[in-house]
Amino acid sequence: MSKPDYVQIVEEMFAKTKDKPTKDFTYLGKHVVRWDAISKIMGKPLFTADMINLFKNAVFVHSVRSKYAHAKIKKIDYSEALKYPGVLKVITARDIPGINDVGYVLPDQPLLADRKVRFIGDTVALIVAESLENARDAGELVNVDYEPLPVYTDVLQVIELNGLTEKEHVLIHDERGSDVLSRYKIRVGDVEKAFKEASVVVENEYRTPMQEHAYLEPEAAIAIPEPDGSVTIYAKTQCPFDTRRAVSNVLGLPFNMVRVVAPALGGGFGGAEDVGNEIAAKAALAALALKRTAVVLHTREESIIGHTKRHPMVAKYRHAASKDGTLLAVDADIVLDTGAYASLGPFVGWRAVVHSTGPYKVRNARVDLAVVYTNRIPAGAFRGFGNPQVTFAVERQMDLLAEELGMDPVEFRLKNILRNGDRTVHGQLLDHGVGLEDAIKRALEISGWSEKRKLYSTLKGPARRGIGIALMYHGNSIGAEGADFSTVSLIIQRDGSIIFRTGLTDMGQGSLQGLVNIAAEILGVPPSYFKIEPSDTAATPDAGPTVASRSTAMGGNATLVAAYKIRQRLNKLAAEMLGCASPEDVVIEAPKVYCKDQPEHHITWKELIEQTFWKGIPIQEFGYYRAPPAEWHEETGTGQPYFTYTFGAVVSDVEVDIETGLTKVVEATVVYDIGRVVNRTGAEHHGVGGYIQGMGYALMEDTVHSENGHVYSTSFSTYHIPTGLDIPERINVDFVEAGFIRGPFGAKGLGEPSIVAIAPSIVNAIAHAIGSKQANRLLNRIPATPDFVRGVLKRAGLAR
Amino acid sequence: MSFKINLKVNGKEHVLEVPAHERLVDTLRYRLGLTSVKEGCGRGECGTCIVLVNGLPKHSCLTLTATLDGAEVLTLEGLAPEGKLHAIQLAYLETRGVQCGFCTPGFMMMTKALLDTHPEPQQEQVKEWLSSVLCRCGSYHYYFAAAKLAAKYIKEGKIYLDEKQVREKYHMKVIGR
Ligand code: FES
Ligand code: FES
Repeated sequence: MSKPDYVQIVEEMFAKTKDKPTKDFTYLGKHVVRWDAISKIMGKPLFTADMINLFKNAVFVHSVRSKYAHAKIKKIDYSEALKYPGVLKVITARDIPGINDVGYVLPDQPLLADRKVRFIGDTVALIVAESLENARDAGELVNVDYEPLPVYTDVLQVIELNGLTEKEHVLIHDERGSDVLSRYKIRVGDVEKAFKEASVVVENEYRTPMQEHAYLEPEAAIAIPEPDGSVTIYAKTQCPFDTRRAVSNVLGLPFNMVRVVAPALGGGFGGAEDVGNEIAAKAALAALALKRTAVVLHTREESIIGHTKRHPMVAKYRHAASKDGTLLAVDADIVLDTGAYASLGPFVGWRAVVHSTGPYKVRNARVDLAVVYTNRIPAGAFRGFGNPQVTFAVERQMDLLAEELGMDPVEFRLKNILRNGDRTVHGQLLDHGVGLEDAIKRALEISGWSEKRKLYSTLKGPARRGIGIALMYHGNSIGAEGADFSTVSLIIQRDGSIIFRTGLTDMGQGSLQGLVNIAAEILGVPPSYFKIEPSDTAATPDAGPTVASRSTAMGGNATLVAAYKIRQRLNKLAAEMLGCASPEDVVIEAPKVYCKDQPEHHITWKELIEQTFWKGIPIQEFGYYRAPPAEWHEETGTGQPYFTYTFGAVVSDVEVDIETGLTKVVEATVVYDIGRVVNRTGAEHHGVGGYIQGMGYALMEDTVHSENGHVYSTSFSTYHIPTGLDIPERINVDFVEAGFIRGPFGAKGLGEPSIVAIAPSIVNAIAHAIGSKQANRLLNRIPATPDFVRGVLKRAGLAR
Repeated sequence: MSFKINLKVNGKEHVLEVPAHERLVDTLRYRLGLTSVKEGCGRGECGTCIVLVNGLPKHSCLTLTATLDGAEVLTLEGLAPEGKLHAIQLAYLETRGVQCGFCTPGFMMMTKALLDTHPEPQQEQVKEWLSSVLCRCGSYHYYFAAAKLAAKYIKEGKIYLDEKQVREKYHMKVIGR
């Protein structure tokens, strides 16, 4: 079978440009001022809640949430609420015209709970009123008759860590017959034999917290009933097409009767994925029931209780190595807590298992991973998607192994990392650029690793310094989770300006600027000629979800294909107009267009475009790219899970106060192999932003549930994220560009990878600062809050 | 109960009749349409709603409008006259920190308050003042740099810039190395 043309085009562009240094491109890899920067410094972009002003006579929807984290619902009585001033309607599960479900991967999550509630944020009824205040007040008057059930807030109440057998308990999802959502495994080589032959074995148990996205823009949705019975929804969502699917499902309407627009997004990080579906469906239900514009607006508390989090992990890892520092085997049991509903849990679990042995050559591995329901807030997609959890464990293990072997942690890693030509644990041949070694070397150089590592080891006194490293790799795009495609549409206007459309969203990271840079580079026109339209299911093509670091790689390829096809046609026409020897000789440097050897004789871009209208040459293009099929063998955990991987090395330099346990990151260095820098501003933002978010994960963030499933940390005074005072003085960001033949100009993704290795690099640095073998083993959980670190110091006999 | 108050917002006088419990953030956003003022937490923790009241930074989510009779309020919309951009805005643009932009108005108003009080701020002062606003995208370093650059521009007397010229010079243009 011959290759589809879009694959050929992407490969051809890569071949042509792979030796061209990034600095020689005009827009690619440059600091281009993002398209919305000027409007943002003027405070102009409209985020969803800002649009409420534009609608007169709207109604407000308040979600009445559960009083128990686990209970049967016997009866819902809202007659009192209906009498409250301003209340127009109370909506319960019975009023849903379509299917009462907003589950993402599985139909396990009712939009409005009818039979039972499974966590404290479950919605039992919607109050629709003339004002938000009325709606909230009336919420108190909804009387639900509950029959409380036992509440599980720790996965180990549901499953045994050793052997991963489900424990006897009252089922949260009785309809499924088990609270183990999904299981994954890796079985390669002969683990038992490897452990027998090993000279060093390291075993430890790890725990990671339930991180909250804490995007600053709380959720909002506005639904407008249209005259033809359809509905238009503006909502905070990072995947408008998924939101449309969910809302269509709930309303029982075809896709073309539901339009979802994503206005400016105040951060997403994965958290605006399924909550967008939920709020949009709630607003749409109210709008269609009352034939009035309906608004859902979350407070910070509701946002924290209502949207999915990062899966907490409990894991037991055993690693074996030979005397010379060769990694022999990995043996692990891992449990991820998906909370009350599956959300993207099955996919998160899969990504976790794929990455569960880190970016190393591992020939013998046994890994078992279970994703398990509890009565905590559901966990779902969060930047890194299962990888930060396992990478924390793996990278801590690497340091423990190095210590046992008496090796420098870098030396030990260098002995075992994946390089070009190696096979991953899944047996996948890395036959293209693998820039991990270069990334490590550069990170060491920038951070001054060797000197600092030595110097810090000699420091005494209460303020200790430490420097730690962690490595990561991260499969690009969706991989074997599902069909993986992306699209864009480019439409050149009669005056030569260009409309750029894609269903991908920009949550703030600026990924769409990267796509414009690609189109601009290929067409030879400045980015300022482009106008990016907001993602809108009625106007932009379905580009797949904006997740999994796929915008630059997948969307970038689709853009490249579209621009390439238009450029071919323009070259042909321009060659005719100018009399160039060959279409290949046409140079476009808009506003000028000329033949290579005759730069002084030129026509204008506008003239060229004008001619296309008279010749009937199409200058719109729908760019499409579909990822090569991934392959995964369930029984062995082998195959080709992702078409490529982003690699990275992170070095953290910390100061630990031995008296208080307080850790301060002093300096950090991150170096990522992203194949080719496409959007330098955005890439640096990911480097820095991912570090800071990862630092929060490492040192302060956790969503704390009480034993009965209530949430303590529902505000920024109880859920701490890094402020300007917490961040290191400097975060050095650099890139390695080990091109990848199937990426646009060789590019790979960076959104998620940017958080993966931060926490272990910081905890490894803490361990170095403390300098005790015993403490090193006790530093097995995050967040490493001052009281936790102090506890470790005490147990290691280093503090009173 | 409601109160009739005089409020000068971005240089314009308003006579408003507001209920006793109405918060300034709602008055600004929903009554006056000044949506640069954002609400991220509603309880004084995130700083996205910060505006200047009589020249001082205030969390508009914690301020009752009825208490502000005769006060002057400045929001990002009023930082520069129509058709102009303020040096602070230019500095934020040039230091390339803006990501999702939800926190940016709060940061810029805080920068304005800082520079009004300390025209030549030390790094520590910049950090301390700007730390009252959260940025989950992690643009802090860029914003600190912007505050310093803005201070420099103001000192040089480059306070207001022509918006159109700025657009021509910067919109989707390559800047820096
Ligand atoms: S909304 Fe006022 S401080 Fe957060
Ligand atoms: S730029 Fe997104 S919160 Fe600051």
